[in-house]
Amino acid sequence: MIDCREAVRRMWAYLDHELATQPVTEFEAHLETCQRCCGELEFSRQLRAMVADDERSPAMPSHVRSRIETILAAGDVPSGEPG
Amino acid sequence: MANALEMKVSQPARLAEPVLYTADLSSFAEVAHAHLDRLYGFCLRLTTDPSDAEDLVQETLLRAMRAYRDLRDSSSAKGWLFAIATNAWRDQLRARGRQIHTVSIDALDADGDEFSLFQTIVIEDPFPYSDELHLDFLRLFRDEDIVAVFGSITPAFRLPLILTVVHGFSCKEAAGILQVPLGTLLSRLHRGRKQLERGLWDYAVTNGLVTTIDEDKP
Ligand SMILES: [Zn+2]
Repeated sequence: MIDCREAVRRMWAYLDHELATQPVTEFEAHLETCQRCCGELEFSRQLRAMVADDERSPAMPSHVRSRIETILAAGDVPSGEPG
Repeated sequence: MANALEMKVSQPARLAEPVLYTADLSSFAEVAHAHLDRLYGFCLRLTTDPSDAEDLVQETLLRAMRAYRDLRDSSSAKGWLFAIATNAWRDQLRARGRQIHTVSIDALDADGDEFSLFQTIVIEDPFPYSDELHLDFLRLFRDEDIVAVFGSITPAFRLPLILTVVHGFSCKEAAGILQVPLGTLLSRLHRGRKQLERGLWDYAVTNGLVTTIDEDKP
């Protein structure tokens, strides 16, 4: 049986699907008996979703995009532009 | 152990002849277009500065163009581009006399790693009348706040976090991109998460998003 401290330590790896079978089984067994860790797991899930949300990354500004398009079309930085 | 972060990376040379011939260039452009937005997002979270991100995207694409013939499998193009971006960023930091310190950081005492955001929110209770205490805390953060908090994380720990959490690479893939052993990656990832938790809390306090019991704090 793992304790809360160990359960918390495994939480993000659990959400990342990076835990092996045995640690997952132990982790889930702990959750069945521990409301506190259930709450923290849900919080971690939401926190993770918040920072993982790519939509929240600011979009590429249009002037950057057009500069990149020029490079991709020319195969290099057009002369006269700073590299 | 060879420190991958200290790896020598060849500087792009300005070539007199075309880097890629037309057919290769259009194939490269296709690969680049498929990953451009994510590459920009990666560069922005890495540098945390729009103008640095712009330079880094451009430098990454120029380097990638020159190395394009080495890319065997276009299904691994995203990781390949991110690895080039990471190396280019290290070079830019080094050129400014800064470095991603790793060895000393990995050896640091892990006391600071025990911070729990979940617990801190319970103890400090910033929303006394809320029954969704933890959710209310997360709702405080706008997009630019999150970028700023990421910027406060030690770069060596920030990188694994961005690669795995934001861009969905597995830990093994992230270790490959950063050229560190899996165990090192996992330990840095853990540190990164803890710094993220602490960073969110400190940011909320410093910017007055929450008021805490200890009112002497800035
Ligand atoms: Zn527990």
